[in-house]
Amino acid sequence: MVTLNVNGIDCRYGSVKILANVSLEVTPGCFLGILGPNGSGKTTLLKSISRVLKPHGGSILIDKEDIYKLKPKYVAKTMAVVSQHNDVGFNFSAMDVVLMGRNPHLGNFQMENTKDIEIAKNAMKLTNTWKFADRPINELSGGEAQRVIIARALAQEPKILLLDEPMSHLDIINQIELLDLIKKLCQENSLSVIAVIHDLNMASRYCDKLLLLKAGIVSAIGTVEQVITTDNIQNVFGINSIVRKNPLTNSPYIIPLSPKKTSKEKEKNHSIHIICGAGTGTPLLKTLHDEGYNISAGVLNNADTDFETCEILKILSISDPPFSAITDKAHKANLTIIKNTNTVILTAVPFGIGNIKNIETAIEAAKNGTPTYIIEETPVETRDFTNEKIATKLIQQLKKHGAIPVKNQTELLSNLKNQTLKN
Amino acid sequence: MNDTTSNSSSSVENSYSKRAKRWKLVIVGLIASLIITVIISLNIGYTFISYSDVLTYLGTRIPGVNSFIDVTSFSREQIANQAIILDVRLPRILSALIIGAALAASGTIFQGVFKNPMADPYVLGVSAGASVGAGVAILWGAGLTFFGFPIVPFAAFLSALATIFFVYSISKVGTRVPEMSLLLTGIAISIFLAAIFQTMQFMTTDHRLNLLVNWQIGSITNVGWVNWWSVLPFIAVGIVLSYFYARDLNMLSLGEETAKHLGVNSERTKKVLLVIGSLMTAAAVSISGLIGFVGLMIPHITRLLVGPDHRLLIPASVLLGAIYLIVCDNFARVIGGSMEIPVGIITALAGGPFLIFLLRRSRQKYRM
Repeated sequence: MVTLNVNGIDCRYGSVKILANVSLEVTPGCFLGILGPNGSGKTTLLKSISRVLKPHGGSILIDKEDIYKLKPKYVAKTMAVVSQHNDVGFNFSAMDVVLMGRNPHLGNFQMENTKDIEIAKNAMKLTNTWKFADRPINELSGGEAQRVIIARALAQEPKILLLDEPMSHLDIINQIELLDLIKKLCQENSLSVIAVIHDLNMASRYCDKLLLLKAGIVSAIGTVEQVITTDNIQNVFGINSIVRKNPLTNSPYIIPLSPKKTSKEKEKNHSIHIICGAGTGTPLLKTLHDEGYNISAGVLNNADTDFETCEILKILSISDPPFSAITDKAHKANLTIIKNTNTVILTAVPFGIGNIKNIETAIEAAKNGTPTYIIEETPVETRDFTNEKIATKLIQQLKKHGAIPVKNQTELLSNLKNQTLKN
Repeated sequence: MNDTTSNSSSSVENSYSKRAKRWKLVIVGLIASLIITVIISLNIGYTFISYSDVLTYLGTRIPGVNSFIDVTSFSREQIANQAIILDVRLPRILSALIIGAALAASGTIFQGVFKNPMADPYVLGVSAGASVGAGVAILWGAGLTFFGFPIVPFAAFLSALATIFFVYSISKVGTRVPEMSLLLTGIAISIFLAAIFQTMQFMTTDHRLNLLVNWQIGSITNVGWVNWWSVLPFIAVGIVLSYFYARDLNMLSLGEETAKHLGVNSERTKKVLLVIGSLMTAAAVSISGLIGFVGLMIPHITRLLVGPDHRLLIPASVLLGAIYLIVCDNFARVIGGSMEIPVGIITALAGGPFLIFLLRRSRQKYRM
């Protein structure tokens, strides 16, 4: 049981400042995730804690003792490190490498005894590497070798484990297994863990505490809920995001959005209303949103994928309860919106008696002279589920009023671009 | 599937728990081979001396055993033969032994520290430095002695050490000595000093040219007891110390940072090992000249035979290096009849094909 304290450390490479006044505390059993963009000083922070790079100011303490004053072997008994790059110089077997984790526990000429071999074996079983214990590590795949290196760290029987992007070589199943294992060791053996993790959602799901680094400065530190917020993500990574709850784990879940092209005034002033549904509008909503257009959608029903998309992207939408026909109220609201809209788009949505009014809205727009596009990825006849093919007839009517049919999203976008250029 | 997995895994466990015993067997076997090689080699030469006589003469020098041997009953021929064994063949064979051991040990150390298969004991400029010192002594100091020591080995040793010190201090960046910088500086200084030595050869036309050429190929022809005793301490201490760092060398092969994480004081270990390796090499070449191949190839051959763990690799290399150089020197003594061939030629002629044979046999498995 040890507590690690980092007190206001500064690190420089030459004259370039990498870390400034970074402090953190890790108590037994705590899983701390370090997050931050490339070059924010995450690896440098780990190197300082692991005695590789002595900070120029501040102190790093294990149970109130300065780690740079402790004996290397003593520190190695307490703290194990899994680095990003692990190139093994000779043809050592996986078992050889894991046994090297016993080094700090051995005397000068002492050989590994059966107890050490047992510990190494257990570490390899935990990381699912025992089955290739006798294979040369240089012949293993990246992910297998990575797990051997983690087994080596566990064989050290550390109280603190530092991991620098431990999942970079692992596939999804091994990522989950590794993080499950580490979490278990935290909870059952009170292992303290500090891990640099790139995947924000994995970090949020597994860590107890998070530290957000930006340009060498601690931008946020605390519980997952305190750190994973739209504002923090925007501030540190410069990206728009939506934070929701992972429905299965209840941990904050981030959906990153493409950076908005902010400079385009024309798109911002150009309003588009999209008539969609059944998921047919989602790619278009996302694309036009990213392009910076001022968009709205409707009428949708609020169990629809397109409705979800609007919610996530914070797009104004008009909606009705699920499994009901379009209500008069919603229809009127829709008609009001299109009066002040520059462009209206009708996607290749399937039509039934419930959403037939949406075509009428489009006709209204076309009558008013608003540029109206019909996306016809599939012919309307194949998705007209009304009796007597009412929808098909209405679409023909819509075309008569000057709506422009386009084959797909690409054609639509080029038309839109021309239109905005003319304005 | 499960059955085979557990079978092979339990055999892994077994083999690791019996590892210490296996390693001891290998070492004991190699020591026995070395002793047998020495005795057989004492029997080889122009004058025929039987094995029982060889052992008798050896016994006269072993305390405790010599009280059973009646030296006064030796015939005149036996007295002469005793001198051949004890003062001609034995110092020569024991010199081959320690030179081979020293070159193999420092080759293993340098390859380990640099994690580079091309590294050999000469990589930091020991050879070129020693050459220039020896060259100067051969050309201008013939016949001189220094407190009883022959001048050539003494000059070679000093200039080798000076060269390493120079290479080391140039490569230093702050308190660190980056490996790549050491290697490159070593190569640059080597080339420069080799050019000076070649100039000496080029300008020499008399009998001393032969001495220079011989020195550069390496030979154990003129090594006597004085030389042997003067370099033995460096080599013996060096080998013992390098064994002390064997496990640290294993850790260093995972990278300097990882070694640190495993409790090794990487920077200090590296420096100590470089000093040990250089001292051993300088001591060895000072009495034999530049014997090639042993320091580069014996570590590779040993690694192919016993694996990469330095706790076995270092002693096994040392013993194999010793055996190899003794055997090569035997050929050097007899193969050319009355004209001796420098042993450096034999080491390379025999070892090259053998290493290629081993590499081809285990091409799949071997990586440094």
